[in-house]
Amino acid sequence: MSAPASTGTGAGRVVVAVYAVLATAATFRSVVQIARDLDEAPLAYLLSAFAAVVYVVATVALARGGPTARRVARVAIVTELAGVLVVGALSIARPELFPDATVWSGFGQGYGYVPLVLPLVGLWWLRRTRTARPDVDPGR
Amino acid sequence: MWTPLAVAVVALSLVLAGWAAWRTLRDQPVVLRQLLLGAAVEAVLLAQVVVAVVRSAGGDGPADALTFWGYLVTTLAVLPVAAAWAFAERTRWSSVVLLVAALTVGFLQYRVLQVWVGA
Repeated sequence: MSAPASTGTGAGRVVVAVYAVLATAATFRSVVQIARDLDEAPLAYLLSAFAAVVYVVATVALARGGPTARRVARVAIVTELAGVLVVGALSIARPELFPDATVWSGFGQGYGYVPLVLPLVGLWWLRRTRTARPDVDPGR
Repeated sequence: MWTPLAVAVVALSLVLAGWAAWRTLRDQPVVLRQLLLGAAVEAVLLAQVVVAVVRSAGGDGPADALTFWGYLVTTLAVLPVAAAWAFAERTRWSSVVLLVAALTVGFLQYRVLQVWVGA
């Protein structure tokens, strides 16, 4: 069995770059929200902070690559996917829970639905890079 | 901020994005000349920062200073970080990274202008 391919090169550079942008946006948003008015919407703001941490972890893990980093990246990305689906659904069904937006509100609507699409891309990319030989179809 | 400078940043970013898209389609990596254009964007951004500092010092600053400065400083960092990340990759994917970065800078400049005028 061959070692897994790098997750941070080739098309992976783009995946990491987009993750980095989202991680920065989410971190920045949560810092501003928490610094300014945590009392107004504690659930939304703490979720923003949690989302930011998850994105930062995913970005770093994907950029580093390697067996451990791949596992970390997978957990982070699955968490993201669960987060965007659960919070997305809740923000529509029970809007009173979220008086202010998080990255995941409305399935990532405020961020062009990137938070919804990116975890799928991330999981696909992890699968795609399972083997070091790009000529072998990893899906077989 | 000064709106013409913001327009210049957005326009130059879009040119850079278009150039990167063109090279992506032609299966080519980022070249040095693109980084020079990126440096030009950074120069205009720095001029924008100076204008914002001077106007803020004169009491004519943005209503939401925290968001404003956060956005502006982040914008400055995007292209240098992306350029370093992209340039290490000598495939077409480096062009896609530059494309993403250039669009991000253009969008951030637009957002930061909104924050400045208090929209």
